[in-house]
Amino acid sequence: MNAIRKHVLLQQGQRRGAVKRVSASVIRCLCLWLVSGLTIAGVCADEHEKKVERWKQDFEQKVLPIIESRCLSCHRGEKSEGEFDLSRFPNGNAAVDAGDAWDRVAKRIRLNEMPPQGSPGLNDEQKGDFQRWVDTRPSQDLCKQLASEETQSWYRGYVMSRRLTQLEYRNAIRDLTGMGLPAGDEPPVDGAGGEGFDTVGDSLFTSTIHLESYLSIADRLIDEALPLEATVPGAGLLKTGKPLPGLEVERWNSVAAEHRGVEAAKVVESFARRAWRRPVLVEETTRLMTLYDRTLARTQSPSVALREPLKAVLVSPHFLFVVETEPGESGVLRLTPHQLATRLSLFLWSSIPDEELLTAADMGLLYDEGQYRSQIRRMLSDPRARALGENFGLQWLGLRNFEGVKPDLQVYPEYTADLARDLADEAVNFVTLVFRENRPLTDLISANYVVVNGRLAQYYGLNLAEDATWQTVSIADGRRGGVTTMASVLTSSSYPRRTSPVLRGRWILDELLGTPVPPPPPNVPALEETSAVADSQTLRQRLEVHRQKPECASCHNRMDPLGFGLENFDGIGRWRESEGSLPIDSAGQLPSGETFSGPEQLKAVLLKRSDEFLQHFARKLLGFALGRELNKFDACVVESGVKRLKENGFQSHVLIEEIALSYPFQYRYYKKSEPVPDPARSRGARFLEALQRLSQKADEVRKKAEAEKASQSQKLENTP
Amino acid sequence: MNNLQRTSRFFSRRGVLRGCGVTLGLPWLESAVCRTVSASGQESVDSGAVQGSRPPVRAAFIYFPNGVWEKSWIPEGSGRDYVLSLTLQPLADVRDDVLVLTGLDKKHSHGGDGHYAKTANFLTGMPVAKTTGKNVSSGGISVDQLMAQQTSQFTPLPSLELGTEPVISGIDSNVGYTRLYGSHISWQTPTRPVAKEINPQLVYQRLFGNRLSGKSGKSEAYRNLLDFVLEDAGRLRGRLGRDDQFKLDEYLDSVRAVEKRIEFAAKDKPRDWQPSLSAAEVAPPAAGIPADFREHISIMLELMILAFQTDSTRVASMMFANDVSGRNFSFLDGVTGGHHEMSHHEKNESKIAQYEKINRWHVEQFAGMLRKMKAIREGEGTLLDNCMILFGSSISDGNRHDPDNLPILLGGRGGSSLESGRHIASAGNVPLCNLYLSMLDRMGVEVERFGDSTQRLL
Repeated sequence: MNAIRKHVLLQQGQRRGAVKRVSASVIRCLCLWLVSGLTIAGVCADEHEKKVERWKQDFEQKVLPIIESRCLSCHRGEKSEGEFDLSRFPNGNAAVDAGDAWDRVAKRIRLNEMPPQGSPGLNDEQKGDFQRWVDTRPSQDLCKQLASEETQSWYRGYVMSRRLTQLEYRNAIRDLTGMGLPAGDEPPVDGAGGEGFDTVGDSLFTSTIHLESYLSIADRLIDEALPLEATVPGAGLLKTGKPLPGLEVERWNSVAAEHRGVEAAKVVESFARRAWRRPVLVEETTRLMTLYDRTLARTQSPSVALREPLKAVLVSPHFLFVVETEPGESGVLRLTPHQLATRLSLFLWSSIPDEELLTAADMGLLYDEGQYRSQIRRMLSDPRARALGENFGLQWLGLRNFEGVKPDLQVYPEYTADLARDLADEAVNFVTLVFRENRPLTDLISANYVVVNGRLAQYYGLNLAEDATWQTVSIADGRRGGVTTMASVLTSSSYPRRTSPVLRGRWILDELLGTPVPPPPPNVPALEETSAVADSQTLRQRLEVHRQKPECASCHNRMDPLGFGLENFDGIGRWRESEGSLPIDSAGQLPSGETFSGPEQLKAVLLKRSDEFLQHFARKLLGFALGRELNKFDACVVESGVKRLKENGFQSHVLIEEIALSYPFQYRYYKKSEPVPDPARSRGARFLEALQRLSQKADEVRKKAEAEKASQSQKLENTP
Repeated sequence: MNNLQRTSRFFSRRGVLRGCGVTLGLPWLESAVCRTVSASGQESVDSGAVQGSRPPVRAAFIYFPNGVWEKSWIPEGSGRDYVLSLTLQPLADVRDDVLVLTGLDKKHSHGGDGHYAKTANFLTGMPVAKTTGKNVSSGGISVDQLMAQQTSQFTPLPSLELGTEPVISGIDSNVGYTRLYGSHISWQTPTRPVAKEINPQLVYQRLFGNRLSGKSGKSEAYRNLLDFVLEDAGRLRGRLGRDDQFKLDEYLDSVRAVEKRIEFAAKDKPRDWQPSLSAAEVAPPAAGIPADFREHISIMLELMILAFQTDSTRVASMMFANDVSGRNFSFLDGVTGGHHEMSHHEKNESKIAQYEKINRWHVEQFAGMLRKMKAIREGEGTLLDNCMILFGSSISDGNRHDPDNLPILLGGRGGSSLESGRHIASAGNVPLCNLYLSMLDRMGVEVERFGDSTQRLL
């Protein structure tokens, strides 16, 4: 670990450092276990057991008395302060189960927050005992654990039954109906959370405009997929439209009128199975068919009626959400085969499972490691795996909003919409290629090839016919190849009118190495940009003056040199030898003393730091796959993923499989579901309903009174 | 209250008002509001007209990113006789319809990051939760959404949320915030941002098109569909984890909102007053998102005006751009660079000059919008008279990122209830929410406090 890395870890606080330490020791223990066979494994396990026993004893002898005398008066039973019931831990075994909870308790005691002022506090000796006990907690096997109420205090789960993201929705519709979304009709794009991806359930929100979009799209696409045969009016036959799963137009048209209902139920059931990616209950099909029946009664046309339940399938939460319902019991459980299939296809395809994967789930094959792996390989070689480049890739590279990057056309009149599209496509195609062809992940830092089409090849000065389609072209001079030298990345980390070595350096540290730099302090001194200075100095020279100031140097010494190495690329990523009349100097020296000149040597320097890159990349990919922020239990997957990558020539499939087979990917912590009242119903709606009932009642009373009055006056009139 | 002005306007138009029958043929449908002014100055509705009452008050909240160069923004003097500052020059011909508000502050934005902790709560005034995604919270409901709860019963759309850029992707691992905070000012609840629409054509479709409006003859089919999925979601909900249930609630609420809208469209005479323009008269904009930012802004503002004019909604919010937007403003003479870049002027004179020009361009767009609204007659006044259009940013100087002395303008008279044409220079540390509280009053929302408000500003 070099000096910079250490510095960053310190800056990031001790938490992450601690996680690393813990997981590292676990790994060591595990490795020993695996490598050295049963004897040593036995020793390892025995030692661990002994430590745990001693820790339990310490709890009962030293800690429990403190808790009983100082804490339990408030933290006891159901009405415990802060909902933290310490009476749940009457012995060592219970204390072990509480796990991390003790870290928090110890922290509050250390900070003198607990016991609160006014209550009898802990004396120094007691504090010492408590702290020592917490510090000696034997490390756990994190690889087979998840964050849960048992392992983490104040645990609040992650949102797992999340909505499909815009891209997932678009892909799912494409795979189901064979049609793209009508342009301009798609739901809005989503923000990100967790490790920086939009797959994070906690940061996915649903607004009215989403629903309007889903409804409108379902309506349009199903009508389009099931066009009516106009030549035979009233017959209600279908023309051949787009093939939908479960619908064979000829068969439908040939079914006798009285059997149409049965046939419709079949079509609806198999469409729903694909869309909801699980077997559909009879009861669910029956409910869907009520829409058919109602529409049939209204329109007398079975074909029109057939459309409605199909639309409902596409607007249902079973389609729009990744439904992972809770079983009756709390605890860590393996996902059902169908839930696993959906997770896997969202990970690799950003879409729903295809028939083959779904069938494998139906047959329970996905729990078999060999079958599961072969599904993964099949899916990676499928064109749909392009989603890894388009979804994961663009988000990781920070290019999701590349359309919004607008270089100044006065300075760069060559920057056309076509070019912008090519640049974005290159990023997608390159990341996709690395995954689909099982290339080493280190290619992402430095590769001796690029993925270009004819236009982009010309832009890069490569020899390829202008109308050539996307293909791999080898690079001899090391100027291009790898993500840092893609024009998309170089453009998005430039200002509209000039390059920015600072932004480019920051990009490398942030997105490639995962060692971000803090934002600049307020009121930083200016970078001279007046024309008089600009003419006589290159940007680099001006930045170097800036860096002489000590308050700037600590971060800019890390960022700027990396960016200088890319100064041969202008603000839209074209190669250049000079800036104005001054030659480009692309040499850089890092705080570690490493020197380089130009992109090829820069990439060589970065390759030396491939450990940091792999670590960061694995975190990113895992965060994307799990759809949540990572916690300490996930560190194990990252560590083992990196280790396996190193053993296998950094092949991308190794990491994919490692993640897809990992405990957090296959298992989930379920909390026994307790229906929370629907707030809209409980307050607003219920109130309105109550009001409505009241006013109805009042109406009835009034009408009754009026009726009585009327009948009385009638009587009066009738009375002679 | 500015009685004098109101009366004089009546006098000038009295001839028109007297000849009520004559105006019947005008497209503005002024027949709907033939009022007479009694000796006491009290208004009474002429019941001879169709079905008339006073036009309602509408409110919009328009946000622009990256703050302003304060020295050129804050006007000299206060009250009626203030002198328009350099940046506010474009307001010259509408200054009587604008309140310039300075010295307002968001105390819960002083900590946290330079941007995200200040933008997400621009309209909530409450603390923003520091998070990269989990337990996202803007601290409270936003003022526009609170108003929409009140006014949604009268209009097809409860509110309109507009923007020009998609949600910013990614998280800022440096400062520990998800970037989506910089993309949302409207919050339906503290934990639920409202997605904004950036495609003008979709906004048009929502407002005036056949999409889901019931005019396409599909309203019954839609209703059946929605009933079905509502039940689906209701059944599913109970089988989900706690947080997942809350997520499904967003879905449920959205379904109900769409249902409500379809029902609204099915009603014959939903309103108690007649808007000056009917939805059928509005022509759609060109497809797609305009490549030119100026055009994009102009269409979005136009759509907002149309939404108010047709009474399709009474509440709107709009983000000129997401926070930290680096949009290139070189289309302005003398500007060569991006917005965020210039806002970090680092006290460099050249950058400050460009920053100021960008600020002024924003004020020009606002002034242009007010002029258009002023030209639209509604009832006995103008559309602008019946609106409150707030225009502001969530930080003051873009270089310092401070959430105090915020640049805030308020256009319109809130239904003759605002004495505009003044510069109200607050002493500093006066909560921006005090202004929101005053605006809520005028929308008929009865609350005693909003956000960090301490009292009413107006």
